[in-house]
Amino acid sequence: MVAEPRRWQSGALFRFTIDHFLLLPIGGLMAIVWANTRPESYFTVAHDLAFVVNEIGMALFFALITQEVVEEVMPGGALHTWRRWAMPVVAATGGLVGSALVYLAYIGWRYELVLSPGWPVAGAVDLAFAYFIVKAIFRRHAAIPFLLLLAITADALGMLAIASRHAFVEIRPGGAAFMAAALGLAFVLRRWNVRTFWPYLLACGPLSWWALYLDGLHPAFALVPIVPFLPHAPRNLELFTDAPHGRHDSRRHFEHVWKYPIQGVLFLFGFVNAGVTLSGYDTGTWALLAAALIGKPLGILAAIGLALALGLHLPARLHWRDLAVLAFATSGGFTFGLFFATAVFPIGPVLAQLKMGAVATGIGVPIAFGAARLLHVGRFSRHAPHHHDNAREYHDQHVHHVHRAGAET
Amino acid sequence: MRRHLALALPVVLLTATAVWQPSAQPAAPGAAVGAPAPPAQFLTAAPRPESLKFAVVGDAGDGDRPQYEIGQQMAAARATFPFELVIALGDNMYGRQEPQDFITKFQKPYQPLLESGVRFYGALGNHDKQENRFYPGFNMGGERFYTFVRQNVRFVVLDTNLLDPKQLAWTEDVLRDSQELWKIAYFHHPLYSNGGRHGSDVELRVVLEPLLVRFGVSVVFTSHDHIYERLKPQKGITYFVEGSGGRLRKGDLEPSAMTAAGFDQDRTFMLVEIAGNQMMFRAISRTGITVDSGVISRRPTT
Repeated sequence: MVAEPRRWQSGALFRFTIDHFLLLPIGGLMAIVWANTRPESYFTVAHDLAFVVNEIGMALFFALITQEVVEEVMPGGALHTWRRWAMPVVAATGGLVGSALVYLAYIGWRYELVLSPGWPVAGAVDLAFAYFIVKAIFRRHAAIPFLLLLAITADALGMLAIASRHAFVEIRPGGAAFMAAALGLAFVLRRWNVRTFWPYLLACGPLSWWALYLDGLHPAFALVPIVPFLPHAPRNLELFTDAPHGRHDSRRHFEHVWKYPIQGVLFLFGFVNAGVTLSGYDTGTWALLAAALIGKPLGILAAIGLALALGLHLPARLHWRDLAVLAFATSGGFTFGLFFATAVFPIGPVLAQLKMGAVATGIGVPIAFGAARLLHVGRFSRHAPHHHDNAREYHDQHVHHVHRAGAET
Repeated sequence: MRRHLALALPVVLLTATAVWQPSAQPAAPGAAVGAPAPPAQFLTAAPRPESLKFAVVGDAGDGDRPQYEIGQQMAAARATFPFELVIALGDNMYGRQEPQDFITKFQKPYQPLLESGVRFYGALGNHDKQENRFYPGFNMGGERFYTFVRQNVRFVVLDTNLLDPKQLAWTEDVLRDSQELWKIAYFHHPLYSNGGRHGSDVELRVVLEPLLVRFGVSVVFTSHDHIYERLKPQKGITYFVEGSGGRLRKGDLEPSAMTAAGFDQDRTFMLVEIAGNQMMFRAISRTGITVDSGVISRRPTT
């Protein structure tokens, strides 16, 4: 009888950890402690794990993110028409431009131009962090899907920027042939209406991975071109929530099977990449912080202002005060910042500075909460009870619900 | 009168340099730290004509007066110690790096050396533009990392800003294939340092040190921390931090059990002579005071 509550407590703690994506920061925290107490052993272990975690394991994480995006742009999804995604995309572009300008200006001022390829790192937005900050502040509100669209777009733009200037690996012929084989096989599987994800993952995935590796592109994106071939159902943006049970199509199956392994991958990712020695801060760290905490929010707000002037509209009940808080909520780059940094720079002090900067952008969390409190936004509003279900209003006005049954493509 | 004083000062400094007994003992009360090292034999005796002589300077290129004074000291030292090359350990240029800056931050400070045919071989620091590898004065052949040989010494020059897999593979190949008696590596970021601002870059060490140890590198020169420090041999390799050729972070040295000698009170440069299996070195301050000196025996190269 005594053991039962304990088991319940440990189970609840585990669920809480998983549901709030806490394994990643736990892994990062462990890495920072180890790197600053026994750096030589930490870096030896981290380097041994880096390839498997960063270049193979993270492919699953990006597959999950791609799946979300694909479903959101389908008919009935939150991103189906350009009117729905136009404003978040404009805001994301503004955030990327703002952060890049501040970043490049800072390193130009410090004359450390070797850091300049790192500007996409400054624009990275940690999806999980941003989601939980906004959710905690706004509870249910139009700000949540708006922020997720913004974050996904910002990271997609960052990935494109990195892919286009991956300068440190030689490009070799042969990659295109493997990619054609991967896509062709995925197309055939789809035509044969194969509904389990395993053939897509185990046959198409390695071909695509090898193709990207040969081409000098980051192989962690290997499943990105494969995921669109999986059978999908449209959905509204509820990232990081459980997919409904009972539908055993490949997408849901993928999500259910890989939910825990992906969290394990993220734990290892935090552990392998977040270990920075605290004395390693330098110009890149400060440039990244300035870009994330000043450039990105200002860029987002300026872009929204410009878009409004050009005739675009914000979702209902999303005001400037909300947007200011939301803009600060995007300042944390953590996971994507670390990933982008490792994709742009090889091992060395330049990478270490940016990794430290990516970790330090976590300071955006208290800043976002502080801004919310200062501006009386969300849970800190003087009339908080009246804001309880704005997401419903957002959906009513901007998202056409589609019954999942029968809507699968 | 002022002109006479200006002329007299280098003569006095030169004389002081010539009569100074090489020693690892502190050069000024409380200034230099570290354990005694065997005395170097050069500068007090005639340098051996068959030996390789070179100078070392790091973090120098800010164009300020101390850099010019170090340049004058190097030129003065060359009168008695005719070194043929200078290895520049990175941050060879600070701040703006337009064509006119290469004159004020490189050509003028080292004008007497350059005019007498001394060649500089640069490594890239964090403040150097990557394009500086194309600057003829740094003799990098347009490469971020490169190698060259003088007599029986193989120099391997790395860009530790961006230690990509290609560079690591290249380093391994060069060190493995090298047949020279001496292998010396130099780059900007120190694998070992007791500088308070930066210190050791352990992540770089984990990647680079196994190669340096396995393939018989005897000596590694680095900079980045704006001090002078000589480390006790680590896994058989002697590491130097020579990062005060122009910039100085006074009082930044935090000596540890790894410190063999150090100096953080003024700018410094080094003179090095390799003859046979021995390397003699001497660290000299801006005022011509020897702050460290000693002899290092080479490691087996295979």
